[in-house]
Amino acid sequence: MVTVSRDTKFVHLAWQRDEKALAGVRYPMASDVTGALGRMFGVLDEKTGLTLRGTFVISPDGTLLNSEVNFYNLGRSVEEILRRVSANKLLASKPAEGVPAQWKKAGDLTLKPGPKMVGRVAEAMKGK
Amino acid sequence: MLETCKSLSVGETVPDFELEMFDPVKCDFGSISLKKLKAAKKWTVLFFYPADFTFV
Repeated sequence: MVTVSRDTKFVHLAWQRDEKALAGVRYPMASDVTGALGRMFGVLDEKTGLTLRGTFVISPDGTLLNSEVNFYNLGRSVEEILRRVSANKLLASKPAEGVPAQWKKAGDLTLKPGPKMVGRVAEAMKGK
Repeated sequence: MLETCKSLSVGETVPDFELEMFDPVKCDFGSISLKKLKAAKKWTVLFFYPADFTFV
């Protein structure tokens, strides 16, 4: 996890030190002062100069696998972000499988798309 | 209302980038790059937000 805004590293330090909600923060807080990274991911609002609440999952080989952007006033579910990372890790080792919406963690039911499942997703979801 | 540029799509390769950063664990400054993250075989979540001192 890397957080990114256009604040400098000095402001990141000040914020992390002052805001009690950030006391347990372990992730690097990156500084995109020029906005170049935000522009690359399409989250830099050229009108305000601020970055939108974008979340991007990148695999170890550098492929962008998830992309989600919220407007300024909607926060994100960390649980859902962690679910996506876990699901992507699993799919990286089992590319022929599918992770359904109800999947929460490794060990939960995944789907193996094939002729038998056409029109039988409800049954497949029950593990039949 | 919003003006953002054409950007990366899911499935595309992310070009290398390098940013300065504050590391709360070491309480020190440093830099982070996609090249280093890839070399360490890390999964990366980039979490953008408008500005410090706002809710995340």
